[in-house]
Amino acid sequence: MAETETEEKKTYDPFEPFRGMRDAYLESLSKAMTDVVNTESYAKATGAMLDCYLTASAPFREALERSMLQTMEQLSLPTRQEVAGLAERFTNVEMRLDDIDAKLEELTKEFAAMRQAAKEPASFAAGPGATHQPRRDSSQGEGARK
Amino acid sequence: MPEEAVLDVLGGFEERLHKFNRVLFSKAQIAQTPKETVWALNKARLYRYIPQVPAQARYRVPLLLVFAIMNRPSILDLRPGHSFVEFMVGKGYDVYLLDWGAPGYEDRHMKFDDYALEYLPRAVRKLKTIAGGEEFSMLGWCIGAILTTIYAAMRPNDGLRNLLLLTAPLDFSNRDGLTFARWTDEKYFDVDKVLAKFGNMPGEMIDYGARALKPVENYITSFCKLWDNLDDPRAVESWHAMNTWVTDTIPMAGAAYRQLIVNLYRRNELMEDRLQIGNQTVNLAQIKANLLTVIAAGDHITPPCQSEAILGKVASRDKEIYRIPGGHIGIMAGSSAHRTTWPHIAGWLDARSR
Repeated sequence: MAETETEEKKTYDPFEPFRGMRDAYLESLSKAMTDVVNTESYAKATGAMLDCYLTASAPFREALERSMLQTMEQLSLPTRQEVAGLAERFTNVEMRLDDIDAKLEELTKEFAAMRQAAKEPASFAAGPGATHQPRRDSSQGEGARK
Repeated sequence: MPEEAVLDVLGGFEERLHKFNRVLFSKAQIAQTPKETVWALNKARLYRYIPQVPAQARYRVPLLLVFAIMNRPSILDLRPGHSFVEFMVGKGYDVYLLDWGAPGYEDRHMKFDDYALEYLPRAVRKLKTIAGGEEFSMLGWCIGAILTTIYAAMRPNDGLRNLLLLTAPLDFSNRDGLTFARWTDEKYFDVDKVLAKFGNMPGEMIDYGARALKPVENYITSFCKLWDNLDDPRAVESWHAMNTWVTDTIPMAGAAYRQLIVNLYRRNELMEDRLQIGNQTVNLAQIKANLLTVIAAGDHITPPCQSEAILGKVASRDKEIYRIPGGHIGIMAGSSAHRTTWPHIAGWLDARSR
């Protein structure tokens, strides 16, 4: 029954009879192409193509950038460089805030530990040799143990 | 009637074509394991995966996953039922993932220094606060392995207990064996000219570079495989998920790309103890965490020779190489990864995460 269901779901593939031939051809083509892309000539050719594209497009790009810059200035709009500069400064501010947040968390933990220590005066009355382990509270995370 | 038979056949072929197009031009649902964002900085996000195992049964040492900076990290959580993240969460690990995000034009000056010494330490700091402990494990894959190695060497006292490096491109001495090294040689590739035009290295160019290593497989055979297996829902689902990830390209920060090409591919500075990060030289001998290096024997992007020398450079006493057949991505996201690589990683971490 399952086989029949599978056969019913199968869609028609007109290329099925040619798969073997196709795969053999692709395998040999693959080996040849892998050898080609590993040659110095290929590296030189792709490098030259990329360089040619960059060199050819450079004058147009520069002209467009100059024109855009003038247009943005005339319209009193920020340029890409100015927006990018602002974004970089925002990231620095974010880093500072993250550092402050971390310090506040540390202080909160220490205050909680001090408050806990203040609630347990008996351990201090035991003398300088007594050790006190502050209990973890829920704000420190689940602190899973295995 | 012969006409009906012909129409049936044509109808079946049309249905097949429709299916092919649908898979090719739609996006699969990937990265589905439940998670929450616990930290953010610029484009970076630290995710914590919702634990599935009760706290008392979980491993004490959390695991941080760090992928490359020029691809989405969703490869680590490809699809439900075939996800490394899901697997590790199910084993009882407290799993975190650092998603670097897609850099914008304003991030073009970001270097390995920023990733390894500004973003990673802050993410680790948050992770330790949430996990409530000082120790953690870190898994770096591909370029993520470069960043985690640099971090481990520059900040050895941050609490890194276990370092796992997957297909790590660290040693660039065998230039004849590295196709990328040949293509990016200074004779042929002017990296500064490219970055002057684009700012960041475009994702499309990086994608082309990866595909061009095996052009027939990536541009023809892959699609033939999909066509041949269109009637197998599991094969289609697998192909669809992988294709969704592969085609979701992101750029790489310009300055970091320049470091990769000039300082690593051309000058091999990391292995030769000459790489300057944050005005200091990266000294791999500072790495003392337990180390597992996973090497894919059939990796054409990061050949095995690039990941072997690290073991002789670190000060770690507990270190191991795990070689496995497969490719750069296949060893972690391929069909047999859940039988080979994942259990080995989980088993290695088991004794070292208590």
